Amino acid sequence: MDSITFKGVGKRYRKLWALRDVDAGFHTGEVVMVIGPNGSGKTTFIKCLLGLVRPTSGAIHVNGERIGDDPAYRHRIGYMPQISQFPPALTIGQLLDMMRDVRGLAPERTDDGLVEDLGLSTQLQKRLGTLSGGTMQKVSAVLAFRSAPDILVMDEPTAGLDPLSARTVLGRAAAVRERGGTVLITSHLMEEVEALADRVAYLQDGTLRFLLPLREILARTGTDRLSAALPLMLADPR
Amino acid sequence: MTMGKVLYYTLVDLARNRSVLAFAALLFVVAEGLFLVEGEAIKAVLSLVQVVLALVPLVALVFTVVYTYGAQEFTQLLAVQPIGRSAILGGRMLALGLSFLVALLFGLGLPLTVHAPGGTSLVLLVAAVLLAWVFLALGTLIALVNRDKARGVGTALAAWAGAVLVYDALLMALLFAFSDRPVEPFVLPVAALNPIDLARIAVTIQVDLAAMMGYSGAVYKKLLGSGPGIGAALAFMLLWVAWPTVLAFRVFRSKDL
Repeated sequence: MDSITFKGVGKRYRKLWALRDVDAGFHTGEVVMVIGPNGSGKTTFIKCLLGLVRPTSGAIHVNGERIGDDPAYRHRIGYMPQISQFPPALTIGQLLDMMRDVRGLAPERTDDGLVEDLGLSTQLQKRLGTLSGGTMQKVSAVLAFRSAPDILVMDEPTAGLDPLSARTVLGRAAAVRERGGTVLITSHLMEEVEALADRVAYLQDGTLRFLLPLREILARTGTDRLSAALPLMLADPR
Repeated sequence: MTMGKVLYYTLVDLARNRSVLAFAALLFVVAEGLFLVEGEAIKAVLSLVQVVLALVPLVALVFTVVYTYGAQEFTQLLAVQPIGRSAILGGRMLALGLSFLVALLFGLGLPLTVHAPGGTSLVLLVAAVLLAWVFLALGTLIALVNRDKARGVGTALAAWAGAVLVYDALLMALLFAFSDRPVEPFVLPVAALNPIDLARIAVTIQVDLAAMMGYSGAVYKKLLGSGPGIGAALAFMLLWVAWPTVLAFRVFRSKDL
């Protein structure tokens, strides 16, 4: 079943089309890896889904409902951005409390297991302005997972994370899939996410070149790795 | 409800930021100083009028613009939560408006009440609060329309200079050019084009000092009478709060973050 559908979605910034006529459906219980060169439209694609950016054309449906002014659909979405900036004067603990309050999340329904798993529990008193990039990413990961989302969107989640933490976060993403969630991950580091991916979406110049099961891509190209399969696929996407 | 939460957390952030507190303290020191130096309370109040007309718009405008740009990442963080755009902007503008109000009540209202209680002080305080809100609304709009911070700050300063310097010169030129015709009826709407002038008109009609009223103030008083003249000036200022606010909401609703 599709939990997210894009129908003819396009986004124009002034004269440049960052996204063009994207048609795609994403199922429940799958991990989709969204890849493409820099400036191919990956972040715009994600921002459209999150409502940060208004598509110039087309429509996006989440669980059957077209997204627009009503923010309620975002209750079901967890998002980990590529770069996180938080109010520098707040401590990690204060930010977590504030975001729970803002989301209207009951404490007993808040899943803060990642706080422990990523080693943040001893750092809750630290001010956000003093954190390293990696620690900011960990905080960002905690925020993405704590509402037990049906839809998980991660933009370069492993960038800046140490390998152990990256594995922890990706393990959590796999758990979201196991309980029937939809996971979208953009990534440059293919191997890490590849192990998790069910399907691969490839964007180029704002156009969706293909959206295919990873297994099919590998079988069709006779390779065992996406990095090897990709050039062959791009030469002949059909 | 979510707007209340955004309001609350923005207030907490503003309290930590201390800039608004510093502005309140500065106003307080200036006001107390003027009352100390000037022998008569009314003279101190009149000096204070000049300070308020120059300082309040500039501080409210620049602070709002800088704060809005500084809050960009936080705005993004909020916008991916199940919170509507109107709640985010409404909460933030209310928080800024409330903190300006408190700053003016303390920095201006307190000295005025102690040293010169009465109608003039009240009108000055109301005009100062409205001025702060006008430039809060304008600053928000300017910061939302200009993606580039340097350009946003530049536009804000230009708007302020326009209201303080250019406008007076234009009004003068206009009056001079049409000096042989009855221009008085046109002065009402033309003066309403400048919120700072409206504040000055309201206060000087109340003080009833012809020397400070200027031409536009005199026309307001002559055509409308004292009470309605002040009322009209303050009502026009409310319009100046309203239109940039409405536009800011419209821009923010469909803005790419």
